[in-house]
Amino acid sequence: MGVVMPLNAETAQARTHQVVNEDSTDIALFVRSSQDDMLGWNRQRIVDALLRETFIDRDTAEKISKDIEVTIQAGKVKTITGPLIREMVNAKLLEMGLEEARRMHTRLGVPLYDVDQLLVQHNKENANVPHGPEATNLTLAEGIKKEYALLHVFTPDVADAHLSGDLHLHDLGFIDRPYCSGQSLEYIKKFGLNLPHALSMAKPAKHAEVLLAHMVKFAASLQSHFAGAIGWDAINLFYAPYLEELDDNGVKQLAQMMIYEFSQQAVARGGQAIFSDVNIYWEVPKHFEDVPAIGPGGEYTGKTYREYEKQAQRFAWALFEVYKEGDAAGRPFFFPKPLVHITEKFFKTDGHMDFLHHICEVASVKGNTYFVFDRGDTAKISECCRLSFKLEASDIEDAKQPWKMRYSALQNVTINLPRLAFKAQGDDTKLFGLLTEKIQLAAKAHGQKRKFIERLMSLGKGGPLSLLAMDLDGEPYLKLHKCSFLIGMVGLNELIRVHLGQELHDSDESIKFGLKVIAHMNIVCNKLAESMGMKFVLEQTPAESTAFRFAKLDLAHFNAEAEKVVQGNREKGEVYYSNSTLFNVGAFMSPIARVEKEGLFHPLIEAGSITHIWLGEAQPDKEALATFVINVFKYTQNDQIAFSPEFTACLACGKTSRGLSETCPYCESKNVDGITRITGYFTKISSWNKGKLGELHDRYRNIDRFNN
Amino acid sequence: MPLIKGFLETSFIDWPGKLCAILFVGGCNFRCPFCHNHPLVLAPEGMETIAFEEIMSRLAARRNWLAGICISGGEPTLSPGLPKMIARLKAEGWAIKLDTNGTRPEVLAQLLGDHLLDMVAMDVKAPLVQEKYDRCAGGPVDLGAIRKSIGLLRHSGIPHEFRMTIAPSLHTEEDVVAWAHQFDRSRSRLTLQNFNPKTTLDARYENEQGFAPEIFSRLSGLVA
Repeated sequence: MGVVMPLNAETAQARTHQVVNEDSTDIALFVRSSQDDMLGWNRQRIVDALLRETFIDRDTAEKISKDIEVTIQAGKVKTITGPLIREMVNAKLLEMGLEEARRMHTRLGVPLYDVDQLLVQHNKENANVPHGPEATNLTLAEGIKKEYALLHVFTPDVADAHLSGDLHLHDLGFIDRPYCSGQSLEYIKKFGLNLPHALSMAKPAKHAEVLLAHMVKFAASLQSHFAGAIGWDAINLFYAPYLEELDDNGVKQLAQMMIYEFSQQAVARGGQAIFSDVNIYWEVPKHFEDVPAIGPGGEYTGKTYREYEKQAQRFAWALFEVYKEGDAAGRPFFFPKPLVHITEKFFKTDGHMDFLHHICEVASVKGNTYFVFDRGDTAKISECCRLSFKLEASDIEDAKQPWKMRYSALQNVTINLPRLAFKAQGDDTKLFGLLTEKIQLAAKAHGQKRKFIERLMSLGKGGPLSLLAMDLDGEPYLKLHKCSFLIGMVGLNELIRVHLGQELHDSDESIKFGLKVIAHMNIVCNKLAESMGMKFVLEQTPAESTAFRFAKLDLAHFNAEAEKVVQGNREKGEVYYSNSTLFNVGAFMSPIARVEKEGLFHPLIEAGSITHIWLGEAQPDKEALATFVINVFKYTQNDQIAFSPEFTACLACGKTSRGLSETCPYCESKNVDGITRITGYFTKISSWNKGKLGELHDRYRNIDRFNN
Repeated sequence: MPLIKGFLETSFIDWPGKLCAILFVGGCNFRCPFCHNHPLVLAPEGMETIAFEEIMSRLAARRNWLAGICISGGEPTLSPGLPKMIARLKAEGWAIKLDTNGTRPEVLAQLLGDHLLDMVAMDVKAPLVQEKYDRCAGGPVDLGAIRKSIGLLRHSGIPHEFRMTIAPSLHTEEDVVAWAHQFDRSRSRLTLQNFNPKTTLDARYENEQGFAPEIFSRLSGLVA
């Protein structure tokens, strides 16, 4: 192995060590290579690397290597490492104006100081990543993959747009994975747990508990192949054929196991819990009614799913009983997130009001429930913070063989909307022109990511994405041709504020203009989808850190303009833009007005939207919430709502109380942590980034009675 | 018309089981030290009055959503125009809930007699013992009037609740038991609210704590 190492071999330790013979006039220098080895100095290794990695000619490479040798001699270097030599060569390339060669020869890595900080400090970009050795592994690996992506996967114009904050390429550290995945339990019911490179293979489960074990393990392997959420469709229905052998206690026990398994799986990737979603239906969804049910052993039971309504309902009920109790300390479970679909058929199904009251009680007491509204004939599968996949005709066809149903978004790119308004200076034509440009750039970024994933997928079962290439049902698990590409937005409210001088909640005029902006995004997406043959869809970006990042960057680069519209507390650095098309979180708006008005945007955003109702410490009646939910379905276009209470978890006495307080109401300890929903999921507030802390402070909780 | 000093379009918590809007009427004859709505009590004239017609039109837009309107305060029964205002709302088809401290039984009797109320929540601040009651209400109280109002509601035939905000410095467990004994639980709903030190009328109370959650839930159990 040479002095100048290929970059993947260069992640070695570099202990300081005197390896030079100072009396010698020749270089008798030893170089710490990346292979836990010390090698003698050999100028030729520089030449070899330059020829291998760049396009420069041999003579130039020779000259560079000689120059470096002279420098090292002159400097009486005592300790030298492969990375140091590489940086010296890079400096030389730069000096000679060989910029392209330098880029190709560059080294990806992390400064010593940063690693030290990282191992000790907490990374708060994603509140779902705890602090620990696994988490820092994740952060380090993400750091290098992110650099790799920006240098090697995306073209410089795309990379620059990301770095300058015109747009945000999400999950760059997961460049070699798709974004998220929604699937059916039928896949493992039918094929068992039969994963590529696994040490053992399991036949289809015969019992509910074994099926659960398969599900959790499959979810964990999926988590290590996707950047984001792992969602499960109609989970209570697909479990139903396994429940006939269980009494009510058994079903409750199974529900408890499922929720604990997912909420305590913080041992997997980066110490992260699996960001998991379970879609729940009270009725048997129309498209599954006549589908033959798969039961124990992967065998057809001889019945259709229509006949499993009661079993499916038992499981749905039990799951929410567990959510209502919370964990051993009475805290809400963070995962899996339960998404209940409210459909036309829901209201025609026996017992729906009891179930609605049941899930509303959970919403009030613990906040877990997400209410997903599928009006008319819409059918969707939901996951992540709000992402949903609308089922098209071909999907409904797939529904006859539900194991075929799986959906993935390959990447998410978010556009910084307020910045467009800074640049447009009040000119509509310019604003829409700039918006179009950025969407085109986002589409370009998507094309580049697709090409990269295609390259990895083309290596098939022997490649890095072997799990996604497995083809137990005749098709690769990741159906690349069906993937969607998400285009999101941050700060519509602030765009409007810059462009019109008022916020979204201030007038109908500003709402109208906001709708124009989003409709334009939608149209451009559709046109690009047609011309590029890729499915571009709008999504309300969760933007857990992007809303903070854009605000911070705009304050730095567009200070005069940004200062006037950035939300939050600038002194504390707790700044943010309003997420996606959401209205100002602090606006004094009734929950009715909020779901109604934010809901106007939802039909334009195909891949998912949500309205949050922040409850604070208030604990409403289940009947009042149920009325509200029904009315949202009947009278608005809103796609999805969630009610978010707040909790204080005491680290001293272990008890959980309602509302955010600085001291525990039970034991008066100050050693407490708050718990509430961040962008689309519950977490501990101590893990939040500064932007979201600013937002938390501003949230209107419908308990302040007077607008003064 | 009573002066409306606050309007909340949607409440999930003020009318048990229902979504309602709330109108806040300015002025009060009590000075409860733990009161959260104290601007309405101490200085309603400093607060902007919201035009009744504006409220009517905003409510009309929410017809599908709201089950009724809660009239709170302050103390609404002090305003001479209250029956007229409620009659107008009733004429529009709204169900009405009244929050009152029960010091004006004659107004309550009139409203009940005219069938203008669908639900009443009456604050009964303490067991009906003069010294205790005065302390909780922040001044001398005519307990005869309170007794009359309780009687009116008990025989009103409409849903009603008696409620008490309890604070460790004002109420003991014996008080809670004695308080609950004053009512007929088969006719009247009883609820306790825990004292919350955020922005109280008497600033000294902001340094106090409510009952610890487990004690509060035990006390609530005593009146259920």
